[in-house]
Amino acid sequence: MYLPSDSTSLFAGKSFLIIDDFQGMRSMLREMLRTFGTKNIDTVTNGKEAIAYLEKNKYDVVLCDYNLGSGKNGQHILEEAKFRGLIGLATAWIIITAEKTADLVFGAAEYMPDDYIIKPVNEATMKSRLEKVLTRKEMLADIERAASEKNYGLTIALCDKALALSKTNATELQRIKTSMLLTMGRYDRAQQEFELILAKRDIPWAKTGLGKAVFYKGEHARAQQLFREVINENPAYLEAHDWLARSYEAAGELEEAQRALARCTELSPNSVIRQKNLGELAHKRGDLETAENAFRKTIKLGQFSIHKSPVAYLGLAKICSENDNPAEALQILKDTCKEFEGAETGFHAKVVEGMVYSKSGDLVNAGRISREVAELVKADDSHRASSVMLEAAQMFLATGNKEAAENIAQTLVKNNHENAELLAQVNDLYSQAGMSDQGEELVKNSRQEVIAINDRGVILAKEGKLDEAIRLLGEAHSRLPNNKRIMINLSNMAVMSMRKNGKNGDMMLIVDECLRQVAKLDPQDKWCAQLRVALDALPA
Amino acid sequence: MDKNKEAAPDISAFLASAVHDMKNSIGILINFLESNLTELGPDARDKATPMLYEVKRVNDNLVQMLAIYKIGNQFYPFDLTENSIDDFVREIVEQNKTLLEYSGITLDVDLDEGLTWYFDCELISGVISHALNNATHYTKDKLRLSVKEEDRELVMRVEDNGSGYPDSVLEAGDAVSKGVNFASGSTGLGLYFSSMVAKLHKNRGRTGGIFLENGGNLGGSCFILRLP
Repeated sequence: MYLPSDSTSLFAGKSFLIIDDFQGMRSMLREMLRTFGTKNIDTVTNGKEAIAYLEKNKYDVVLCDYNLGSGKNGQHILEEAKFRGLIGLATAWIIITAEKTADLVFGAAEYMPDDYIIKPVNEATMKSRLEKVLTRKEMLADIERAASEKNYGLTIALCDKALALSKTNATELQRIKTSMLLTMGRYDRAQQEFELILAKRDIPWAKTGLGKAVFYKGEHARAQQLFREVINENPAYLEAHDWLARSYEAAGELEEAQRALARCTELSPNSVIRQKNLGELAHKRGDLETAENAFRKTIKLGQFSIHKSPVAYLGLAKICSENDNPAEALQILKDTCKEFEGAETGFHAKVVEGMVYSKSGDLVNAGRISREVAELVKADDSHRASSVMLEAAQMFLATGNKEAAENIAQTLVKNNHENAELLAQVNDLYSQAGMSDQGEELVKNSRQEVIAINDRGVILAKEGKLDEAIRLLGEAHSRLPNNKRIMINLSNMAVMSMRKNGKNGDMMLIVDECLRQVAKLDPQDKWCAQLRVALDALPA
Repeated sequence: MDKNKEAAPDISAFLASAVHDMKNSIGILINFLESNLTELGPDARDKATPMLYEVKRVNDNLVQMLAIYKIGNQFYPFDLTENSIDDFVREIVEQNKTLLEYSGITLDVDLDEGLTWYFDCELISGVISHALNNATHYTKDKLRLSVKEEDRELVMRVEDNGSGYPDSVLEAGDAVSKGVNFASGSTGLGLYFSSMVAKLHKNRGRTGGIFLENGGNLGGSCFILRLP
């Protein structure tokens, strides 16, 4: 009746990598794979060896134990392999685990394994899961490629086509399709799709998706209600906790947001990102004890993870300084520069160092660092995050370098003239330094300068003088490379011009550069997706 | 810090790593038994086959205790996904094939083909495997597994041609479906686990449940799981 299906052809040409620290398991898995007709099998015992093998070889399937003793665990290896492009879309990654954890089942979609198998592993389960995963990978290959190339329209069309053909993988296809709609900023369409699914059945991912769509539309209270409903039914559903925290934060309910995040770190104790988020939020609220704890955990957990981040190191250094422990703060800053080589982190660490000295009353060193940072700013001030530049301005004011502070503040305002939160922060900075009048003056003048250029550009475009408008805003863009409004107007004008005159290399260059820069400033920005749709619709 | 509190060992800290080790060992034991039973003579094989049943019982208990612990503490990642019934049943049957074959028991399967249903695969597989393993022990020589859609619910039945559940177990089953805390011992654990798992499955106002009966298609005991 249930004769094992003949799937030798599915396995014959495939190459496998087995990652397991336990000799008994390695040989058992190898024997199983041989029985299925596989000849090409490599085995390794830990994360380091696994990465070395993945760097050298291409595998169709990776069977990876979750718990590998000390060092990297199975999830760390998967994340590193994906992040560094060591495996492609076609590689099937299966995690073998003794226990099902929230991280494994409800982890971030981009770092999920293709399947997980719970021990004890037996031949029947292994074979049937491998067959299922390999078949599904094959079926979804085109869709995954389109999605990874950010070709959203095509991805959705392919999903619709597959959904019309058969019921197989329907859930997977619906998830991909709805997540594309959210990425594209088509929230009403996404909401319709989720409601259609939920009319048939309560499904956590669909209800969470509905919550996201509603959140993006600005209905924070309704979104919170939906996320709470998911959590009630399914207490370990991580994504709903993440989003509940996010919607509390957006509504300004920071205490609730922190509670939601804290619950999330209990459920997902190994997540570097969640610990870091908790630390940042607690720090922002002035809950230094929670923040310190969370940052220390972030650093410890980050040891083997690609998600390790300088934010936790620098946050911890600031907290130590606030707790009047400059010695540890300075030591952490040294560690930061050892752990992270990038110039941006080095710059940020120097800014914090200046603050630490200034707070501890070491004016000589504070002045020295302040001058060093000023030199770095002069050399290149265009590509640093505004939050870091804000801290630099604060440090300059604290160390008496008013001119440097003013330069930065002006650049910040001009690059972010529509960002109310940031403008308020600049004002705060100056009032804390007892110079609120100067602050207000600076913000007002710098804002108006940018608004005037933008307005002139828009008027020129309306008058039909597109080339002139593009020249004007292009020039403004090279002076203020981080101003989003200028980039959006400039790209829209470039698209308008191509709609009129056909595709053009120079215009595409402008659009591509703006897209890249906006995505860098805010990876979630839906404008990028909308612009890509507009580009797709251009006549060749 | 409270010193007394610190002195009390927190078993949960060891639980995960201990389970990890135990599951590795059990996996290798099961695999060893399954692949080596064939090479034994008939006498030795008859003596060794019950060992497979025992190892599987240890595994069932481990799975059940861990799940109950996690669900109770709201840590269990309840993974409600759409599962193909054909695939689900095929996996279960394959997992139990060796034990059934060497115990001289035939298993009939009856299912609605092409059916899919939403449930947590690990938990439901734990419930059905446990029911099958139990039935293997108490049946004469026949088992029947049926999976059907009835009245917008998925109904899974495990039946045997043994002498049926004793009254005490039927009463415990009754109590559990009414939500009463009841029996003890390993029957209690299995029933408690199965009922807890069934109740986790909800859909639009309906909740899952388990039921124990005698009779059924084969005249012995009959374990029924209903999922909305």
